[in-house]
Amino acid sequence: MSARAILPIQTTPQVDVDLRHRIGTLNVDVRFSLTQPWTILFGPSGSGKTTIMRAIAGLVHPASATIVTTLVDVRGQEQSRRLVDTHERHFVECHRRHIPLAAQRASLFPHMTVRQQIGYGMRLMAKDPEDENSGQEVYGEKTEEIFNLFRIVHLADKQPSALSGGEAQRVSMARAAAAAAHLLLLDEPFSGLDMALASEIMQDLQPWAAKRNLCVLSVTHDVAEAFQLGAEVIKLAEGRVVEQGPVEVVLAEERARLLAQLNGAAGSPA
Amino acid sequence: MDTQALWLTLRLALTTTALLLVIALPLAWWIASGTSAARALVQAVVALPLVLPPTVLGFYLLVALGPLTAPGRLIIGLLGHPLAFSFAGLVVGSVLYSLPFAVQPLVAGFRAVDTALLEVAATLGASPWRAFRTITLPLARPSLIAAAVLTFTHTVGEFGVVLMLGGNIPGATRTLSIALYDQVQDFNYAAANRTAEVLLAFSLVTLLVVYWRGAERRSLLVG
Repeated sequence: MSARAILPIQTTPQVDVDLRHRIGTLNVDVRFSLTQPWTILFGPSGSGKTTIMRAIAGLVHPASATIVTTLVDVRGQEQSRRLVDTHERHFVECHRRHIPLAAQRASLFPHMTVRQQIGYGMRLMAKDPEDENSGQEVYGEKTEEIFNLFRIVHLADKQPSALSGGEAQRVSMARAAAAAAHLLLLDEPFSGLDMALASEIMQDLQPWAAKRNLCVLSVTHDVAEAFQLGAEVIKLAEGRVVEQGPVEVVLAEERARLLAQLNGAAGSPA
Repeated sequence: MDTQALWLTLRLALTTTALLLVIALPLAWWIASGTSAARALVQAVVALPLVLPPTVLGFYLLVALGPLTAPGRLIIGLLGHPLAFSFAGLVVGSVLYSLPFAVQPLVAGFRAVDTALLEVAATLGASPWRAFRTITLPLARPSLIAAAVLTFTHTVGEFGVVLMLGGNIPGATRTLSIALYDQVQDFNYAAANRTAEVLLAFSLVTLLVVYWRGAERRSLLVG
């Protein structure tokens, strides 16, 4: 990484979330802090994972919430930004947050090439006066890194209609990563990819995000994926936080069950 | 062939189309961006010229723009003459008459744009206005073209509103369809035939262009 690319913050930002919101029959009521570079929301479908992600991104107006991000800048000073505070009727509009969300469905812009999709958010972030991470030199270098990272170099000039499901998924992730200022949200990002490729990308994405002091929050219900990421885990059930901590602790039970299943399968009549 | 009428008709249709796109774009966007009762009401009012006899619309405009109403008196005071029986009056009538032909394709086109795309654009930092310009509008481009062509051709073919509101003043309000009516009244069937042929050929060719373009687009998507 060149010395020119000065990062505006020293450490991974912290995100404090306190959220109550009803969606359909589900009552989401959670309170947690993201303090690690990578945190996983783990839980069965219908446990509120996607609602939490959408609330942080700004796509949901929550019934009651405070969401605050705290950064430490290069001068060592803490800067807090309240994204939502329903008690004071404070709500930062989605497009002013610069918190990209790669949703489960890729939703690529049908009229843009892959390169244009990646450039779309990156350009908007570069224009944001609030963000110091926006020089032209960072821009070109970052594009190249992202194309390599998500293995989409060969797809740069293709239209979305020419991509496979897995390719579209990677472009969607790349587009989000390119536009992320401090926080990146990935909703089941690896579910559509073949396992080998998913684990390759995971291996590269983690150090890349760490280097850029990006805080990543990803959603999964895949125990193996959670262990491979080796990240902090927030376990959810029916809209509530059941447990938060290192993956080895929080998902110990799930892992034991998974291993037992595998052993059982291996031990059955050969 | 009444070239003065032909020229006037084209000028009226072009002016109406340009004005209507400016009016219809924000209106259609507002209608498409929600489902409130107010939107349904506005959409119903916009669609009225589709079912109303054009003479009804022409009659109301004739009265509204005349000295009997406050807006009419205001216009007469400002311009020194009533809007009725003038080119400007025809433009007002045509804009109202062709409003549904501009608004409805746009509403359909805007509604067809996947909201997930607009959400993505927002999370990437695009303001609603930027998302409209860079996502909604390019994706609704076929609807925009359809709206423009339909408005233009519909205005070319308009008769009842022009007759009620504009009368039959050569160079000011006498459009091709009025000229045709006159020619028939004069039993000048040869001239009427030529005028009718021009109108028929013009309408057929423009519709052909629209459908052909549409077919080409669809085959591109499939292929």
